[in-house]
Amino acid sequence: MGKLDINVGKLKKNAFRYSKVRGETASRIRIPGGVIDSKSMGKVIEIAEKYGTGVINITNRQGIEIPGIKLSDMEKVNADVQEIIDSLRINQPEKGKGYPSSGTRNVIACPGARLCPFGCYDTTAFAQKMENNIYPNDRHVKIAFTGCSNDCAKVRMADFGIIGMTEPQYNKDRCVACKACINFCKRRSVGALELVNGKVVRDTDKCIGCGVCVAYCPTRAWTRSREHYFRLVIMGRTGKKNPRLAEDFIKWADEESILKMVKNTYAYIEEYIDPNAVEHKEHIGYIVDRTGFEEFKKWLFEGVNLGPKAEVNQRVYWGGRHYDKYGG
Amino acid sequence: MTNNPYLPFASEILDVIKHTEKEYTFRMAFKGDVKPGQFFEVSIPKYGEAPISVSGIGDGSVDLTIRKVGRVTNEVFERYKGQSLLLRGPYGNGFDVDLYRNGEVVVVAGGTGVSPVRGVIQALSQMPDAMDKYVIAGFKSPSDMLFRDDLKEWEKKLKLTLTVDGAPEGYTGNIGLVTKFIEGLPLKNPAEAKAVVVGPPPMMKFTIIELKKKGFKDSNITVSHERKMCCGLGKCGHCRVNDTYICLDGPVFNYEFAKNFVD
Amino acid sequence: MGYVLSRDTFASLISDLSQNYRIFAPVRKKGAGRFTDVDVVMYDNVSNAEAIELEAKSDYSSKEFITPLSETLFYFTENEVKESDIDNRPILVFGRSCDIHSLKRLDQIYLDNGLAKDPFYKRRRDLVKYVLIGCSHSFENCFCVSMESNKCDDGYVFSVDLADGNVYSDVPDPAFDSYFAKYSKDKRDVVPKYVTENEVKVSVTDSVPHSIISHTLWDEYTTRCINCGRCNYVCPTCTCYTMQDVFYTDNGKVGERRRVGASCMVDGYTDVAGGGQYRRKNGERMRFKVLHKISDFKKRFGYQMCVGCGRCDDICPEYISFSNIINKVSQASKEAE
Repeated sequence: MGKLDINVGKLKKNAFRYSKVRGETASRIRIPGGVIDSKSMGKVIEIAEKYGTGVINITNRQGIEIPGIKLSDMEKVNADVQEIIDSLRINQPEKGKGYPSSGTRNVIACPGARLCPFGCYDTTAFAQKMENNIYPNDRHVKIAFTGCSNDCAKVRMADFGIIGMTEPQYNKDRCVACKACINFCKRRSVGALELVNGKVVRDTDKCIGCGVCVAYCPTRAWTRSREHYFRLVIMGRTGKKNPRLAEDFIKWADEESILKMVKNTYAYIEEYIDPNAVEHKEHIGYIVDRTGFEEFKKWLFEGVNLGPKAEVNQRVYWGGRHYDKYGG
Repeated sequence: MTNNPYLPFASEILDVIKHTEKEYTFRMAFKGDVKPGQFFEVSIPKYGEAPISVSGIGDGSVDLTIRKVGRVTNEVFERYKGQSLLLRGPYGNGFDVDLYRNGEVVVVAGGTGVSPVRGVIQALSQMPDAMDKYVIAGFKSPSDMLFRDDLKEWEKKLKLTLTVDGAPEGYTGNIGLVTKFIEGLPLKNPAEAKAVVVGPPPMMKFTIIELKKKGFKDSNITVSHERKMCCGLGKCGHCRVNDTYICLDGPVFNYEFAKNFVD
Repeated sequence: MGYVLSRDTFASLISDLSQNYRIFAPVRKKGAGRFTDVDVVMYDNVSNAEAIELEAKSDYSSKEFITPLSETLFYFTENEVKESDIDNRPILVFGRSCDIHSLKRLDQIYLDNGLAKDPFYKRRRDLVKYVLIGCSHSFENCFCVSMESNKCDDGYVFSVDLADGNVYSDVPDPAFDSYFAKYSKDKRDVVPKYVTENEVKVSVTDSVPHSIISHTLWDEYTTRCINCGRCNYVCPTCTCYTMQDVFYTDNGKVGERRRVGASCMVDGYTDVAGGGQYRRKNGERMRFKVLHKISDFKKRFGYQMCVGCGRCDDICPEYISFSNIINKVSQASKEAE
């Protein structure tokens, strides 16, 4: 092995891992939306066998990490990875140089409406659209998409969590009062339905738009709204200081507004990030804690036109233990 | 629509007799042919239509014994005298009382099952050989007894066994299920005796087992079935059993036929 | 006599007909299915030919005009009961051979079972004329050939078959001849398409022995079936309904009486006052439904109830196959002999 002189900061930005094994790294493959074609997967295997140790790590954020790569092989790996980057349509300023950044994490998604009976929208497609919207970017931002309120993608651990919603449409002329929707809303969801004079009444405040009523209605009295809606939850995080779940911010939000708000967040980060942050990395939530939520909203809503159905929580309060203040 | 069979008519409530906390007999104005065991679809305010057996037939009136269920309140039940209810019917075949004119007859009725056979028992009690007519009437408890005045009258005229499933301490009457009293019936010729059985399904099932043990023929047993009925006209489908519509072909059946019913 | 029309002239014909008739036809409802972005084909009023789904088998059947899922029968006040009104204009219902055959079954119950005709059924029935959608091929789960409902010799005013970009129509009802003559010069004999073989075949036994009732074949459905009732709601021959009284006032004297579609699979179907209930197990309900379709109805009326459209199999969320049960019953009946 020759003499190693590596810029670790650049290595990390180039989506390689700083490994505890001296002289080695791991190549991190972005898979926005968690869907990869089998040909690209074949390429992953090829790289793992050629430059790695024949082992592939599936990451917590639906990416792939190929460990055991020699630092001296990074350029070759970048050349080989190009095919995967192209196939997954990852934004890239210069071909053949690998991933341009790693700060904004892989955008994750549950299987959503492509497979799941409860998925309220195509999570993968939205995740890919979001990836396109904000990548490459060095800022540490985590975004996750989930098809319904079951939140299988655990979006409440992310800075931006997008939860699918449908607005149940009721055709009383098709309702036979079998009560399937009422029973299943109660058992599988929040119990927002009740039978009044032989027809079903939906408590619109209580309804979370999960679509359980639609899935269980045997007569198509309940159908999904033409529009897909989303619940946007924000500023969830893991970590040492104050891990916490994301809290509800906007109910019945639309796709376009969400794309725009997330995009706007990057300008806000540039403005307010702690210049002395370790590795220039700071969870957005800590920045919001510092600037106040009102300032954050001002930046977030720049040029955003929320749809008429959107319900915004003007004040949001987060929980979680403050280990930084009160210790473990 | 002319002659709409679903169209109910208003019938005046001539009297309301309270039997228990839950069961009331409404004496309704009605002129027309009607037999014990037939039923009316009664529009019960705040509840909806329900099939109710005729529990008595008077001159220009029918008695309908209604059990209060669900959201029907006391107020609705007690306030109605002098007002009216919507009815349609009578529906179903009803009992042929003439079948029981000569010879030994045993009527076994449980709970509200007494309502449809009340007219039969009244007829039996008027027959010359009333002392060959046996009635076993069972209720859950002494406070659940229906038609108390009738029971007193019947006791004088025919052989009545009144029993309750359970009773508070100190109760001096019979305690036990109706089935307990069949074996001991002093019948002269059980093979020719006739029986009428009406009540909840398990009670009917076990009563018939006892009657057969005693020597009754299937063809001498008459039963009346209770099912959900939304129309009384053979349309709604709820009362169907096999290829039989209880509302059209029954609710009164010869057991020889009805023993093949499987819900 | 029949006619050949282009798709365009067919569209003109439909819009012409819609001046005098309401048109009730299968329609593809975008995204209205059970799951996100899944379509459903079900019946609705249409005014143009493009809206009519002529290719796919409808998920729900054509019975929904004559026996709506929910219909108000009466309005009642303290002293008066008033029948509801309906739109009395005649209506053309587009249906396949199975749908037309199912009409006889609906009539059997609503018009011929018992002493009285059902006037609420009749007032709708009398407005209906059927348009036959020909079947150039069998759909998944169809077993109409086994049930002898694959072909319609009558019962329709005209037929519609799509082939080589044109519409082929047999027009047995002379009242519709003028409409067609107006739009088509190409007059010739047309035989509506019908299928002569289905992939799914059933053999319905003539005599189901009584012992089938207690056979173990029903047991698996106690756990497999979720008693949702979809099989009944989509069935073109299911007729059951439940009466529903609605009260506008606290005293229960003013309100309306409705009837809504009922399913013998769904809880509450057998509930009697005081809490009594029959057929608690789903396996028992399955047995009750299946034997009605292939045995009990026939015992009473002389012909099979099921028309073999397979909609119950199409829609069952638990992948229960009704046609497979029929064959199981036949097999078990044979073994019992």
